[in-house]
Amino acid sequence: MRLDSLLDWFRGQAVTIPPMDGALRPNTALDDGAAELLEAAAPDNLAASGGQVFYSSGHDLLRLPAYGEAGPAVVARCEAPVSAVACGPDGAVAIGLDDGRILLKDGTLDGRTLGPAEFGGLACPTALAFGAAGTLFVCQGSSAHRPSDWVVDLMSKNACGSVWRVDLAAGRCERLAGELAFPYGILPDAAGGVVVAESWRHRLLRVKPGSGIEPVLTKLPGYPARLAAGADGGAWLCLFAPRNRLIEFVLEEEAYRADMMREVAREYWIAPALSSGAQFLEPLQCGGVKTMGIHKPWSPTRSYGLLVRLDRNLRPVASFHSRANGRRHGITSALERDGRVLVTSKGGNAILGLAVLP
Amino acid sequence: MTPIIEMQKVTKAYHGAPAIRDIDFDLRPGEIHALLGENGAGKSTLTKIMAGVVEPTAGRMLYRGQPVQFATPSQALAAGIAMVFQETSLVPSMTVAQNLYLGSESFLNRLRGVYISAQQFLQSLNFPVDPTATVASLGTAKRQMVEIARAVKHNAAVIIFDEPTSSLTPEEKRHFFALMGRLKQRGVSIVFISHALEEALAHSDRITILRDGERVVTDDTARFDRDSVIRAMVGRSLSTEIYKARRTANQLRPRGEMALSVQDISMSNVVRNNSFSIYDGQITGVFGLIGSGRTETFKIVAGIYKRDFLHGGAVELRGRPVRYRVPAPAVKDGIVYVTEDRKTEGFFETMSIAENLYSGLLAAGLNKAALVSRREMRALAAEWRGKLNIRAITDNAKVIELSGGNQQKVVIGKGLVQKPRVVIFDEPTRGVDVGAIAEIHHFINQLADDGLAVVVISSYLPEIMNLSDRILVCRQGRIVEELSPEDATEEKIMYAAVH
Repeated sequence: MRLDSLLDWFRGQAVTIPPMDGALRPNTALDDGAAELLEAAAPDNLAASGGQVFYSSGHDLLRLPAYGEAGPAVVARCEAPVSAVACGPDGAVAIGLDDGRILLKDGTLDGRTLGPAEFGGLACPTALAFGAAGTLFVCQGSSAHRPSDWVVDLMSKNACGSVWRVDLAAGRCERLAGELAFPYGILPDAAGGVVVAESWRHRLLRVKPGSGIEPVLTKLPGYPARLAAGADGGAWLCLFAPRNRLIEFVLEEEAYRADMMREVAREYWIAPALSSGAQFLEPLQCGGVKTMGIHKPWSPTRSYGLLVRLDRNLRPVASFHSRANGRRHGITSALERDGRVLVTSKGGNAILGLAVLP
Repeated sequence: MTPIIEMQKVTKAYHGAPAIRDIDFDLRPGEIHALLGENGAGKSTLTKIMAGVVEPTAGRMLYRGQPVQFATPSQALAAGIAMVFQETSLVPSMTVAQNLYLGSESFLNRLRGVYISAQQFLQSLNFPVDPTATVASLGTAKRQMVEIARAVKHNAAVIIFDEPTSSLTPEEKRHFFALMGRLKQRGVSIVFISHALEEALAHSDRITILRDGERVVTDDTARFDRDSVIRAMVGRSLSTEIYKARRTANQLRPRGEMALSVQDISMSNVVRNNSFSIYDGQITGVFGLIGSGRTETFKIVAGIYKRDFLHGGAVELRGRPVRYRVPAPAVKDGIVYVTEDRKTEGFFETMSIAENLYSGLLAAGLNKAALVSRREMRALAAEWRGKLNIRAITDNAKVIELSGGNQQKVVIGKGLVQKPRVVIFDEPTRGVDVGAIAEIHHFINQLADDGLAVVVISSYLPEIMNLSDRILVCRQGRIVEELSPEDATEEKIMYAAVH
């Protein structure tokens, strides 16, 4: 292996994608085992306050219908698409927008807005979480792009995201970690730190104020998105798209990628997607997707549905999949509540409910 | 109807020990006669007498009603009896066409003519083999095809097939049985030895069963079923022991620690970005058709083959990256590969059981004495003969003299003396009788129960479904699907393996 580490200087280190097996063994739980609670246009981020569950969809923040209600109710309509939502203990709701602003609604700071200027010019709120005693944690995915331009950020191989702690009472913003490759999920821990999902590096990090960052779960087979607390002390991790060889290859090929980004429409890039298969112009890997009329579940795909249950040590213990032939792709957010976990399938335009087994 | 071959009270003894005793056997013109029995039952000896490979000690053989005694296989072939051996008898350095025409060459040969004629002949048999390829470059299945083609080419009136389908894919098997049907229509009589009982039941007209060197029964195939065949072969019903009912989730072993993580390993176009993990305390079954890259993948893991120099992927053994260029460090790290081709790669055939087992110990550097110790060798042989129930007259019996099942047990023993933590079995029961299959399966299960990470590569679906705690399906050089035995069906596995 010593020789290999030397040789890797010349031949390049092997880029490998970990297999989906063990706790990540593929199944069809998101397609067959999950109830569709609501059909919604690209539902993105779930959050709960009191007895109510909110979700974002486009420019709107909506409330899931309670028992007996006909449909979802619009809670807020924003000027820009909503990119992140979090609910605080006092009933406050923080809404991140695609233009970089973060709106605070209800609670003691109702009506207050945090602008990009307060985050050193950053305008990419991808995940929000309230911490203890009036603090708000913010993931700024990138300094170069907006949240909706995530695919451009990935294809540009940026690592200019950061994690911030906002003292809401004092109005002070403190950067906890920088040079992250698209932080897209955040979960405060009991020790005052946060666990962050770093998408483009396929890993989870623990960020402790004053003591730097520490990887806690690496080599994920997909791009991690938001994190949610589990009732058992563990967590739920959403992976919004799978890694695959073709995309990894394109990420290695600078000139090709530059040409592709310049000349090809974004939806047809060889890049991860929240949903796929709707257009014949989309790139395929090696063909072989359908044989004898059957869409092969293991065929190469740009989009996938994957929700992972983590234990207290943030080790995967179970997973819920929607495979290449499934519909519930692009899982971006989860929320455990009353013995079941709610999941947004942004690519599948649905909010799902899964029973949580002990 | 006068039998084309009739054996009367035939006995063959080696060093005074009879391999077959007083066997009566007849083969009718144009029939397919299946010869079944455990390893060591005497099937090969009986057919070798027919084909002139060995001479009987007592009894006589009639061919077309006339007493004959062939001194050499060429005499038998000249008379019209050809035998297709389990281990092929082709010349590896010659091309397929040259092998087909070997022994029947003209004084002057035009190579192009030979190739064209061989091509036409192979196509007529539906065998996709390139006549210009050297035999050494062919896989086991294609070598078997050439061997069969050579027997057919000699216009033999009797063809003896010894385990002809053991290395063929399902599709190749279909071609083979269609060919057997065509030969039968042409009046060729066929003796067909197989351990796949379904094949014998489906494709033969009559079945003869041997046990311990004696004939137990001969009857029309229609009067047999799988259970009655097994009962006659082993003297007890093993069917339910070997291929149990589908296991439920709580019968499957739980996943232990990750022993091996293979990520995107590649080797030329044979293994392509293959990724999977292997866990302690579980049997991971790997199914794939021949050419799917399953064997090559695990040979890379075990250091027998090298993965691509550039972008060859990564292998992690218990979280530690490893890249073996030869098998020795893999063995030292506790990875053992038990080969599918035991005759070529599995043992030293002219050495004894004890020497073979001891060679495994030496390879791992686990021998206690600095020099070769006979005492240690004897103790090792006694221990492992007992553990694996290797049946031989003495520890000094040469491995080549053992039956297929016992040879396989020696190969397994040779690997296991190295005290592995990851054991890879490649076709562990190929060419092994049902009695030995049960023993080998039991032993493999025991290894997993003891906490070892076990991999079983097999192209026999019932074996995969019954042994495995998880099933990986390999196609075109990579694992395409993972199934749990509780929801896997033969159709699902085969679909993934083919499409």
